[in-house]
Amino acid sequence: MASAATDFSRAVPRLWSDRLVGPALGAAGVLVLLVIAGMAVYVFKTAWPSFHANGLAWFGSGEDANAALQKIFDSKGPHYVYTLRAWPLLYGTVLSSGAAVALGLVLSIFAAVFIVEFAPPSITRVLEPVVRLLAGVPSVIYGLLGILVMVPFVGDHLISTERKESVLYVVQLTGASLLVATLLLTIMIVPIMIAISVDALRSVPSSWTEGALALGANRWRVIWTISVRASRPAIVAGAVLALARALGEAIMLAMVSGGVIFAPNPLDGLTFIYEPLQPLAAAIVQGAEGFTVKPYGATLFAFAAVIMVSSVFLSFTGWAVRRRLRRFGVQA
Amino acid sequence: MNRIRPLVAVVVAVALVPATAADAKTKITMSGSTSVYPLAKKIALAFVKKYPGQASFTISQGGSDVGIGDVAHQRVDIGTSSRDLVPGGDPGGLTFSKIARDGVCVITNSDNAIANLSQQQVQDIFSGKTRRWDDVQGAKITGPIDLIVRTNASGTQDAFRNIFMGQNLNVAPSASQKSSNGLVQSSVRTNKQAIGYVDFKFTAGTHAVPYKGVACTLNNAKSGQYPGIRNFWFVTLGAPKGMVKKFVDFARSPTVQRTVVGKDYVQYK
Repeated sequence: MASAATDFSRAVPRLWSDRLVGPALGAAGVLVLLVIAGMAVYVFKTAWPSFHANGLAWFGSGEDANAALQKIFDSKGPHYVYTLRAWPLLYGTVLSSGAAVALGLVLSIFAAVFIVEFAPPSITRVLEPVVRLLAGVPSVIYGLLGILVMVPFVGDHLISTERKESVLYVVQLTGASLLVATLLLTIMIVPIMIAISVDALRSVPSSWTEGALALGANRWRVIWTISVRASRPAIVAGAVLALARALGEAIMLAMVSGGVIFAPNPLDGLTFIYEPLQPLAAAIVQGAEGFTVKPYGATLFAFAAVIMVSSVFLSFTGWAVRRRLRRFGVQA
Repeated sequence: MNRIRPLVAVVVAVALVPATAADAKTKITMSGSTSVYPLAKKIALAFVKKYPGQASFTISQGGSDVGIGDVAHQRVDIGTSSRDLVPGGDPGGLTFSKIARDGVCVITNSDNAIANLSQQQVQDIFSGKTRRWDDVQGAKITGPIDLIVRTNASGTQDAFRNIFMGQNLNVAPSASQKSSNGLVQSSVRTNKQAIGYVDFKFTAGTHAVPYKGVACTLNNAKSGQYPGIRNFWFVTLGAPKGMVKKFVDFARSPTVQRTVVGKDYVQYK
């Protein structure tokens, strides 16, 4: 065994001559591109019947989406049913991830400023590794926490019987809600945002902040108008990364968001945050058992296609915004 | 070490050659019910263990209707179904071979240990006609009813509709859909207002409601008293032939019925 190992290490430099390294790495790069292109083609090809049958109305609202999905699943060939108005799903996706990123922005900026400017070194030494560790927790763990602890708590203690009765004929308030989904999503995405913001705040040149302090600005004003302002490209980059993760989050949201397609209505007052929702990615997980039913599979792939396009769009927007902001601040 | 390795490789190759060269393995393809799938997989594994090298299996799932459609169009050798033949509705020439039976329990939270539910009550509750526990005779709690059901692709959902609701009644669209029996179980366990249905292997921690006066247990299902029972079928086009017949007979043999089927399900007789 030992002799084999030394043989191998001696063989490495010979095998990886410069002549070979270029094409080999290039092939790996091309392979990645091919895989992505192939995946995109497959997703759109499979999803096409769903878009084709509905046209732009696919993105609109109308018939109850739960009933529509049931009809799609029950339809028999050759007369497959594809009719779906996916607005509640799109709205649920935007609502949960948007709210989570908004909450996350506030939390992450405050936390990052604390870590960089205020925390004593002993706390920073503990806090930073913990934040990075949190970023790596698999989402199913949060889902379990949600379903075993948060959902029952919200259902038992925060939602009163009167509140449940008030929407009895429209939707059931079980505790699986916008509130729990958003809170868990925020907890999931905040560590990445903090880590990126901390790095950016640290890289603000000290001459800038010292100059401001010398001019008589107080500490908070220096942080807010110099450090945070200069870090904006990085903060945006963090938000875009976080939003992408929130958009694609499936397992956790499928577990805690209520299992029914519903569009929470802000006009319902406080009840709004207790109403269930179903983002696109969660809907794919929910329907996974029915992939082999042709029209149902096409519908689920249509959800996937929308998520893919939004992610690409998001990357471009993030890149464009960063490019504009970069002129005024540190690199991200 | 290095010298032994080629030797091992040769031995492995020799062991593989007769099987691949003679191509003695018959491929058996199956598709259909998600509920039957775990059982079909277990039976196929037992078959491969008993008759090594004779057959290989590809089993996919997609619902009973998919399985019946596939076998009728000769896309697979065996379709699996957790619902019975629909005379006039299903394609002609199909043979249904019963391989097991399975029960579906209606469950509520332990704080709401209802003594009995009639079919009418179950239908009213799940169709959304009755929305308050106050209106359910025998309920131990008051307030709104939370329906916890399975996603529409689920075999248990299919069985529940067939056995409890009938073809013309749909579950209320406001019901909370869960993608597995376990998720229904945990939702009902933690929510006082909830009622749901699960395969009877998933009732722990909840109250399994007696249906039409009979408790939902494996024993009552075995004795034939519990009415919430569905059948599991292997469906073939015409009578099973050759290796498929050997497999179906194997599934229905007393040994397999006792050991593989009898452990988690009800034997088919």
